[in-house]
Amino acid sequence: MRSYLNYFKLSLITNLQYRAAALAGITTQIFFGLVYVMVYLALYESNKGVNAPMDMQNLITYLWLGQAFFAMTFPFSKNIELTNMIKNGNLAYELVRPQNFYFKFYIKFLASRYVSTMLRFLPIIVLAFVLPHPYKMAMPYSLGNFIVFLLALFLSSLLVISLALLMHIVAMFTIDASGIQSMYMVVAELFMGSIVPLPFLPKILITIGNFLPFRFMSDFPYRVYSNDIPLKEGLPLLLLSLAWVIITILIGLLLSKKALKKAVIQGG
Amino acid sequence: MVKLFIESLKLSIKNEIEYKASFIMNSISQFFVFFTYYFTIVALFNKFNNIKGFNVYEILLCFSIIQFGFAFNETFFRGIDRFEDLVIDGSLDRFLVRPRGILFQTMCQKMHLIKIFRLLQAIIILVIALIKLNISWSITKVIVLLLMLISSTLIFFGIFVLTASYCFITVQGLEVKNLFTDGGKHMAQYPISIYKKGIVFVFTFIIPYAFINYYPLLFFIGRTNNILYMLSPLMVFVFLIPCLLSFKIGLKHYTGAGS
Repeated sequence: MRSYLNYFKLSLITNLQYRAAALAGITTQIFFGLVYVMVYLALYESNKGVNAPMDMQNLITYLWLGQAFFAMTFPFSKNIELTNMIKNGNLAYELVRPQNFYFKFYIKFLASRYVSTMLRFLPIIVLAFVLPHPYKMAMPYSLGNFIVFLLALFLSSLLVISLALLMHIVAMFTIDASGIQSMYMVVAELFMGSIVPLPFLPKILITIGNFLPFRFMSDFPYRVYSNDIPLKEGLPLLLLSLAWVIITILIGLLLSKKALKKAVIQGG
Repeated sequence: MVKLFIESLKLSIKNEIEYKASFIMNSISQFFVFFTYYFTIVALFNKFNNIKGFNVYEILLCFSIIQFGFAFNETFFRGIDRFEDLVIDGSLDRFLVRPRGILFQTMCQKMHLIKIFRLLQAIIILVIALIKLNISWSITKVIVLLLMLISSTLIFFGIFVLTASYCFITVQGLEVKNLFTDGGKHMAQYPISIYKKGIVFVFTFIIPYAFINYYPLLFFIGRTNNILYMLSPLMVFVFLIPCLLSFKIGLKHYTGAGS
């Protein structure tokens, strides 16, 4: 356990070096936030009588939360260290280490996401709160909603990592996994509600989305915050979210064990 | 020069189809990207019927023109987009001793042909929009459409070159360039008139997206007959001057990055 904690700390420190990247990230996120908010405002303004699927204030809060925690919830980015290891065979060294391969990388991925989120989210949230009226983000609906939001966000980070790691493990079975990985990204982004919030999708896609884990990556936490998903539904959804975390971790763990068992080390 | 470019193109194709299974998966996934982009706009307009007076096909037209230019650059000029790699690993020094232009060599060095699917998608959306829009065709309409497509390609080329010249100063904080490429692309998917003044100003006079798919679009869909609107895509050439110039200056002062 201690060694995993040390991996976590080490990753934190390494990733703290990328502060310039964080500044660029903040600027980009704020820009995207403003653009999205303006697009939806224009849509709502031009269609006054239309029954929109989401309350405008809830939608704007949703958009800002999405930008603030973007570093935590974006579904996939290629981890160079692990990808190279798989490609050049240095993965073999992992077999002689006493730590579990899967959890070691789980911890590393998690730590790097947490650092980049910590470096980014605060300025974006602060800005979103001080903006003038139609652009402004709202406070949480109630204390209960806020607590469920925090728990959901935590589970979301676990789920994002277990799925992202799974997509790296797939690369152990095929040499070039970028096709599967980009496919995953498309599906995840659609069903987590990062392209448009889920309520705006056609009914059939919403139904499909309900059976998939992706909505727990951003749709659920961001909507429960403003009570767009009522608090009553929040508690069972939290449990479902936890179940998805456990399932995806188990799949990843089993697959990585299987892959490492079969691993043939090429070259001398 | 064209021959050399085609030769590099062939090499890239070979490179791309080397891993067959992955190539197929990649193609499928690129195609899915198309559906998500297309669906989001269509889905939004299922719930709403216009955005500041523009209907769904006008938006799709606006969107496809920007996507076309971006995808064209991503496919054929990928090397310039990844210019920092050349500076970091020192390959640029090798380029300097060869008897061809640096920009040209950079273009040939790396292409990302899988992105050609995005180019096709942009063309498909464009055609869908054109069929549904009931355009009263004339020679000027054809010209303005071509101008929009060409200028859209050139503006992203200009931005790529501009960020490449930034690499001569430092390779730190390059993520900012996403703001102008990805960010600009997202912003320009919709007619610029839906945004507030600040954004309109920046993307009209600093990076002239408005001259690519807003003013000419108004002419194209018959909202205005002003000939200036039709010719406005030519502004992109004004934008290209500082881009190319800064690259030239940067190159002149380049002294190598490593040991």
